[in-house]
Amino acid sequence: MSSMDNMPRASKSDLARRWYVPQEIESIRSYYPLVLIVALLSVGLSLIRANQDAIYSSTSIVLVHLVVLVLLRQLDHGTKNIRDGALAISGIGLFLSILHHLDGPSLWIDIWFTAWAAIPFVLVLAAGSMPMVTLWVSGRLTVKAAELGLRKNKMMAMKHSHALHHLILFHAVAAVALPILWILDVALSPENALGGGFMDEITGEHFEKLISSESFWLWTRNSFIVSIGTTLLGLALAIPAGYAFSRFRFRGRDSAMFAFLLVQMFPGVIILVPYFLVMKALGLLNTSLGLILAYSVTALPLCVWMLKGFFDTVPRELEEAALVDGCSQTQVFWRIVLPLSLPAVAVTALFSFLAAWNEFLLALTFNTSEEMYTLPVGLASLISSTGQAWGDFAAASLLVSLPVVVLFIAFQRFLIEGLSAGGVKG
Amino acid sequence: MVNVTYRRVTKRYENGFTAVDGLNLEIEDGEFLVLLGPSGCGKSTTLRMLAGLEEVTEGDVMIGNARVNDLPPGARGIGMVFQSYALYPHMTIADNLSFGLRMLKGDDRPEDDEIQWRVGETADLLGITAELEKKPKQLSGGQRQRVALGRALIKKPKVLLMDEPLSNLDAELRQQMRVEIRRLHDELGMTTVYVTHDQIEAMTLADRIAVLNEGVLQQHGPPMDVYRNPVNPFIEGFLCAHLNDIVETANELFGGEEE
Repeated sequence: MSSMDNMPRASKSDLARRWYVPQEIESIRSYYPLVLIVALLSVGLSLIRANQDAIYSSTSIVLVHLVVLVLLRQLDHGTKNIRDGALAISGIGLFLSILHHLDGPSLWIDIWFTAWAAIPFVLVLAAGSMPMVTLWVSGRLTVKAAELGLRKNKMMAMKHSHALHHLILFHAVAAVALPILWILDVALSPENALGGGFMDEITGEHFEKLISSESFWLWTRNSFIVSIGTTLLGLALAIPAGYAFSRFRFRGRDSAMFAFLLVQMFPGVIILVPYFLVMKALGLLNTSLGLILAYSVTALPLCVWMLKGFFDTVPRELEEAALVDGCSQTQVFWRIVLPLSLPAVAVTALFSFLAAWNEFLLALTFNTSEEMYTLPVGLASLISSTGQAWGDFAAASLLVSLPVVVLFIAFQRFLIEGLSAGGVKG
Repeated sequence: MVNVTYRRVTKRYENGFTAVDGLNLEIEDGEFLVLLGPSGCGKSTTLRMLAGLEEVTEGDVMIGNARVNDLPPGARGIGMVFQSYALYPHMTIADNLSFGLRMLKGDDRPEDDEIQWRVGETADLLGITAELEKKPKQLSGGQRQRVALGRALIKKPKVLLMDEPLSNLDAELRQQMRVEIRRLHDELGMTTVYVTHDQIEAMTLADRIAVLNEGVLQQHGPPMDVYRNPVNPFIEGFLCAHLNDIVETANELFGGEEE
């Protein structure tokens, strides 16, 4: 206590000055590595394009970025010269990146790279010339101002990190959305062109053609039969199996569970030929039943493990309470365990449905006659060696994704509950 | 009502561990018996064999004149309160209470009106009438404990079993519920078997305590008798020394004030 009191007033207030770094500088410092990564990617693009000038200019932009970053890290009280240097070099960098942009093609990706190269320089110029920063680097900041600055920093830090999160999420969304937009563009364009401007001509001809075509509906029907059949059969097998693995100790339990995992470790192609021979022997080629059997069996290990994991989280005392309340073992399962496990069952069902809905290889191999095609195989048949119906293909892809989207929206609540179930306590 | 008898009961697990060894114990009709002992002494196993949640390896467990070794738990006419309450999370409190009645078969199953009436009566008894439409998650620990008691009592069991029912409550609630449990027992008069490792709980609740250690019954009798005449060093250490410590501490704390 006394040592605190004895501390000279000046050194106590110096604390604020010594600790204060303007948040603008701090944020730019910590986000700069991202800028460097993108700048390196830009060099990569120039290399791929084998454009000598672009390689030189993009490499020099990387170097300038590097120098700016090093200078930014040196900034502190009484480093006005370094600040001035950083400003000057950022100006050069801005000039270089504009030059680099004018030199090459201006596809959307070039515009994106230019933005990533130029905007950091602009930010450094703007932040570096702020009055607060100028005071800071010249060491003329008063204690009061430093304390005020520290308080402002907290709010600003939050805003800046939100901005960064949004920037990253924007890129993630773009990465997901761009292919879909492209498909949408192709589906709505006339003829079967893949290029052209975005949405320059719009027509519904591909959708009309699909909806009026008999085979599309046939394939849809096949896909639904196979997927729903797989889901039902898969659940009917996986629920009791998962429950048994979770609750009962029996001989061979551990090795059976390991065997389930083992099957998952083989790539699907390996079992393709044996499966084909089995299906042929059973006369199940070109039937929906054959596919249903094959899909349920392949999805089973994962489903069983998922459900077992969930059943493990249902407390045993609940079941004992139900036993005392007069339930039989079967009733305990139906009236207590299953209702509690609905989220997990929903997730498992969704998983089996999607796996069956999207599966291509087995469907292509087993069902070779056109009227037994499932949607993925049917779609692929639109792109043959003799005619590429890209427009129809794109339109059909969108229609095929529709049930999946609907299912995900419908099951959203369950999905979140089911996937986070492990952490929930009663 | 009924009495409960353990006759040379042994419980041995598959790995050879003997949890309960040759237990002979008779619990009289309407008696409040507390099974007391340190963790792993076999007291819970003893209770669970009576409930039918654990197989009996050797000997007989009798409720009244019937040997119940092989009866399923639901057929033994017992109610049980679990340590974690074990309320059904997906049902309302009313459904939790009535579940046991609704699971009865044939003529035993009461009419729906009767079930509703008994839910109301039980809720009244325990002071949880306002919570009937809620889910267990929305209740406090003490309220959940009352629901768990109500669920055990609603079937008017001949024997009430409790497995450390108060260990999840804070000190004040525990005191409150202790009084409540004894009141319910005196009011309803069923035979009660209560498992705990807490000496104070045992002394204050029991008509008779039975102290177990390492699967063997050490001594049984009215609490004060056991305390005054311990038959072996284990009882001395586990029960008498512990209680004396508490009394001494209390004297140290409050002794000065009285003088």
